[in-house]
Amino acid sequence: MSDPNRIEKLVLPHLDAAYNLARWLTRDGNDAEDVVQDACVRALRYVGSLEGTDARAWFLKIVRNAFYDWLGRNRPKEIVHDENNAVDTAVDHAAEGPEHAAVRKAELQALSDAVTALPMQYREVLILRELEELSYKEIACVADIPVGTVMSRLARARCLLQRSPLLHAIGRQTSRSAR
Amino acid sequence: MNCNDAATLIAAYADGEADRLQRHSIEKHLLGCTHCAAKHQDLLALRARIRAEVPHYSAPAALRARVLVSLDTARRPVPARSRLSFDRWRWLSGGALAGCAATVLAWIIGTAVIDWRVNEDVAVEAVTSHVRATLGNHLIQVASSDQHTVKPWLSARLDYSPPVPDLQQEGFALIGGRLDNLDGHPVATLVYRIRDHNIDVFVRPESARTPPTALRTVRGFNVAHATGSGMDWLGVSDVSADVLTSFVQRLARGSGAP
Repeated sequence: MSDPNRIEKLVLPHLDAAYNLARWLTRDGNDAEDVVQDACVRALRYVGSLEGTDARAWFLKIVRNAFYDWLGRNRPKEIVHDENNAVDTAVDHAAEGPEHAAVRKAELQALSDAVTALPMQYREVLILRELEELSYKEIACVADIPVGTVMSRLARARCLLQRSPLLHAIGRQTSRSAR
Repeated sequence: MNCNDAATLIAAYADGEADRLQRHSIEKHLLGCTHCAAKHQDLLALRARIRAEVPHYSAPAALRARVLVSLDTARRPVPARSRLSFDRWRWLSGGALAGCAATVLAWIIGTAVIDWRVNEDVAVEAVTSHVRATLGNHLIQVASSDQHTVKPWLSARLDYSPPVPDLQQEGFALIGGRLDNLDGHPVATLVYRIRDHNIDVFVRPESARTPPTALRTVRGFNVAHATGSGMDWLGVSDVSADVLTSFVQRLARGSGAP
């Protein structure tokens, strides 16, 4: 049974979390808004499936599903991704950034860029863990994968970040833009 | 515990997911192994950097408003009038305390109240259209300050020809028009502007229905109604109630001298 009054109480408190996840998945503000909007409409339909689960994880799962459907409609090529490519592309992208950009800002931006460049499956677990501070179990529920997979993807995501050429490129970039 | 066993546990430990026994053994191992201790430190440092440098985006206010509108729309599916009243009744009987109170009231006062409720819905619908158009940035489909451009555009798309008064002299600039749906029928919407406020005016042929209340406030927007020149005029805006009322009445009086 649809119950918009109940939905408002379930959905609105987690709108920031939903938008943050959608924003990191789509990598675009407008697209993220569309995904969240769609998720809210879906939430209305699936409110019966909430039974006992945590509302935030339940809603984020709907956001994630809405995102993958959106992706299939709008950027089908991205669904098949090569993780090495994803990181390489992002390096090129960062390298051509405006040279006059403030050095400090570039440093702060580097980690965000590296997160943006992560392949989707690693990016989503990382965002859910580090920004939304969800437990392994909640992430498993949202991403519909076993807890073991959550742990291995999280480990891979962190490893990619620590080794990201983007973070190590900062030194090069700063010396170039200082010139 | 050796380094291999520790490797898989370090992340779980750093994430607060290790159980008591695991915590105890990993802590012991970290004290004795600089290699694993460094790995643990790296993880903590990475987390600190992520939380400091990677933005947590907040939902924009416009999105919040849009979500409210769409939940609102879902609450109120509005095709034909009979269907609307039916849905409303079903919602009332199934629903909230306020709903029950309204049902009782409706039973007492009868059809007059139902009419009043339908009119209320038109006002709510008009405000929803106005908000949706403003947020969705499709306030205007035909942009022109010329009444002779806006009127034919609307007439070509409707089964009636709405008057498009030019009130520039009185400070209300016509900026365009669009088509909307009101009460299950296509309707002409004229968009005027006064001092940074947009005014949506829904114009439709006058009908025998009980006219809506002359002035109402719905979710902070003023809704004013007037009849004249054979049309129903429904204005929605965040401009003050007096300005809106006199403007709508002025429109209804027609393009002749005031």
